[in-house]
Amino acid sequence: MDGTTTSAPAQVLHPRAAAFTVDAHDVERRVGLLFAVSGLALVLLMGVLGLVMRLTQATVIGLSPAWFYRLLTLHGVGMITGVLLVMMGALWYVLRQTVPLRAGRVLASYGLIMTGVPAVLVATLVGGFGAGWTFLPPLPFYAAGQWSVWSESLFFVGNLLVGTGFFVFCLDVLQQTTSRYGGLFRALGWQFLRGREEAAPPPQAIAATVVAIDGLLSMAAGMAIVLGLLGRTYDHNVGIDALVAKNLVYFFGHSIANLVIYLAAAAVYVLIPRYAGRPYETSKAFVAGWAGSLVFIATAFSHHLYMDFVQPAWAQIVSEVASYGALLPVAVITIYSMTMLVWGSNFRWTLASTLLYVGLAGWAIGGVGAVIDSLIPINFRLHNTTWVVAHFHTYLILCVVVWAFAFLAHLLERNADRSTSRAGRNWTIGLILVGGYGLTGTWFLEGMLGIPRRYALQPPGTAGYSLVGSIFALLLALGFLCLSLQLVPLARAAWKRRHDARVRDVEPRPVETPRRDGVPLATPAQLAVGAAGCVVGLAAFFPQIVEASETSVRYHHLDHAGQFLFGVVLGLLLGSLPVTSRRLGERGALGLATVVVAPTLTMLVMVPRFYEPLEAHPSEHVLYHLAMAALGLVTGVAATRLGRISGRFAAFLAVGMAVMFAAAMS
Amino acid sequence: MSLHYGDPQIAIGAVFATLALLLAGVFAVIGAQAGSEVSFDRVHRVGYWLRKRWLALLLVLGVVVVGISLFDLPYASGAAGRTMVKVTGGQFFWSLAPDRVPAGTKVRFDVTSLDVNHGFGLYDPHGHLIGSVQAMPGYHNRLDLTLEQAGVYRIRCLELCGLNHATMQGSFTVVAH
Repeated sequence: MDGTTTSAPAQVLHPRAAAFTVDAHDVERRVGLLFAVSGLALVLLMGVLGLVMRLTQATVIGLSPAWFYRLLTLHGVGMITGVLLVMMGALWYVLRQTVPLRAGRVLASYGLIMTGVPAVLVATLVGGFGAGWTFLPPLPFYAAGQWSVWSESLFFVGNLLVGTGFFVFCLDVLQQTTSRYGGLFRALGWQFLRGREEAAPPPQAIAATVVAIDGLLSMAAGMAIVLGLLGRTYDHNVGIDALVAKNLVYFFGHSIANLVIYLAAAAVYVLIPRYAGRPYETSKAFVAGWAGSLVFIATAFSHHLYMDFVQPAWAQIVSEVASYGALLPVAVITIYSMTMLVWGSNFRWTLASTLLYVGLAGWAIGGVGAVIDSLIPINFRLHNTTWVVAHFHTYLILCVVVWAFAFLAHLLERNADRSTSRAGRNWTIGLILVGGYGLTGTWFLEGMLGIPRRYALQPPGTAGYSLVGSIFALLLALGFLCLSLQLVPLARAAWKRRHDARVRDVEPRPVETPRRDGVPLATPAQLAVGAAGCVVGLAAFFPQIVEASETSVRYHHLDHAGQFLFGVVLGLLLGSLPVTSRRLGERGALGLATVVVAPTLTMLVMVPRFYEPLEAHPSEHVLYHLAMAALGLVTGVAATRLGRISGRFAAFLAVGMAVMFAAAMS
Repeated sequence: MSLHYGDPQIAIGAVFATLALLLAGVFAVIGAQAGSEVSFDRVHRVGYWLRKRWLALLLVLGVVVVGISLFDLPYASGAAGRTMVKVTGGQFFWSLAPDRVPAGTKVRFDVTSLDVNHGFGLYDPHGHLIGSVQAMPGYHNRLDLTLEQAGVYRIRCLELCGLNHATMQGSFTVVAH
């Protein structure tokens, strides 16, 4: 079982931090290390690919366009996956100190993601897939001779595995925060906001709940579109609606890239106070800010579609307001509060704390570039120029990657009970800052000049900017190399201290048992709503509706989604009944696996090539529709094993996926 | 590709550079002060006082900036008096009909794609990016511009569309009176 590794914060932390710093269990430290090391290895590898691409644009390396786009695609997916892994580990490490997350779930999530990584590696490097990490449909199906069907399928499967891994992680976080704090509103701190309770959840729990909700919503969109594209690979008659697909891709892609920084913020709320010696506690402003973030994270994505003028104007304006709105909680709550903690605190400067502080500035400066670009008239002049590359690399390299190293450094410094030399870390971080801001600065300048992004060959006369950018990129690479080398002696010292002087006689911190907070439909009123939902869902089986839906693939699939909905609600109802629930028992892991697999199967068989032969025979047609409902029923019953809030969420997302999948077809 | 006095991109870059330097300065000052010892009560008192004003400033700035931006949206409205130019993108070409108009013409570019998503980026004769719109299969995006300057306008693809994305170019001529 878990053991406590250190008895108290030692010299690397602020002396006052002992009053509020919780000792980590072995399992928390191990999971943190596993995710941090795996993620950072991926980040460094992808960083090398980035350097190769920049040198290609500078004409220093003669990489072919085919290879450039392979690397571009891999770089995008790999980098996001790498930082996602580190930040998932960081969140798990800090959140488990108050919320009983399950090691089995986080390792399952890790396994899924790490299975997806080689799939993407093979699809791009061997299969030649190069449609970009945004894989905007229908580009994957217009390979221009560059990749084959198997590589596009493998790429989708890889993405699906990474997305599913994050989905599993978010579902466990949501289940445990809502169980621990007594419901969704309490986990989000909204009861505290209304003044009804004295104690509110700690900042990292509120942030984690928000990330989990937005993560689940966006992963559902991602799984729907990726499954739709997988279906398209084996049925070429399926049409993909380019506008709907683009919305789904960016809801998935933008959100996952954006959520990485919010995952990191949750960890930063715990780590910076340890060096400032000042606790960070939940306030009403904090709760309100994160309530705003909950909405803004989920709605800002469509600024990627500003230049798709057929997108409804109201959606463009909502997106612009949300994109600006997203700035407020970040600037007024997170970054501002952290600088308040640091100010005049006799801050303990170590490698980790310096990186944490530097990362705050990276978020702020990159955020300004993003907010400027989120104004529609400005985006009209900067859309898909290197300005976009500049702003997201500013906060990804100079905040998220820097924080990823900070997290690993924190783990090692705490266990080694020492930091690196002051001069060494100042030089190293100086190199990273000069290289990083120099690299992104050249992109900002190129963006002002209108130089497009994602060009294997730069427009005539502009390769010089890439050359300057490459020099800064080399400095940045050198900085990260030095940083990695500084971690080696820390790791050695941590290892030695762990074996030589491990404190075994301290009381292990008690960890609550993970629990399930009831069933989704618990009261008679909720059961009645479920029964009413079943009656509504039955409409999807009416012959008139089935016939009417056969006028288009989209409507036909929506009808299938309706049949699936019927099954899900019926399953929720049956699984929630006390007598059934008792018989079913806990079975949380099986429930989780089923709510992922059953909707996936539903969408995979919802492809015309598969079901059209069945529809030629009335009895088989009826059986097919019943199978849709049966898959829904299994999903609904499985969702009841996930608890009250997570069960409802899982059921909602399963139906949502089927609807989004149907909407993307044309 | 170059920038000249009056290009909006210069103002955009200047605003960004100013704000970025300001922020860097603020973080440097806070970092320098971090080593001192100030009572947390005092930091709270002054910090929260300042935070309310910081929030108010960002809110006012947001309302003003977003509000102004809504009066300058690039989305097309009435087509009256506009010359329609049909633009079709495909791997890896641009086709425009007609491909020339007289200077001062109010043009409506009706942009679509034959295959994948492309980005219709229009660069004036000096190489300035004057606007863009996406070319999507199955959809028609309409971009309204008044082209005063005579010369050859270049079109570059602004959405990753495959192997020859970087060389997918076209041209459009504005003839002097």
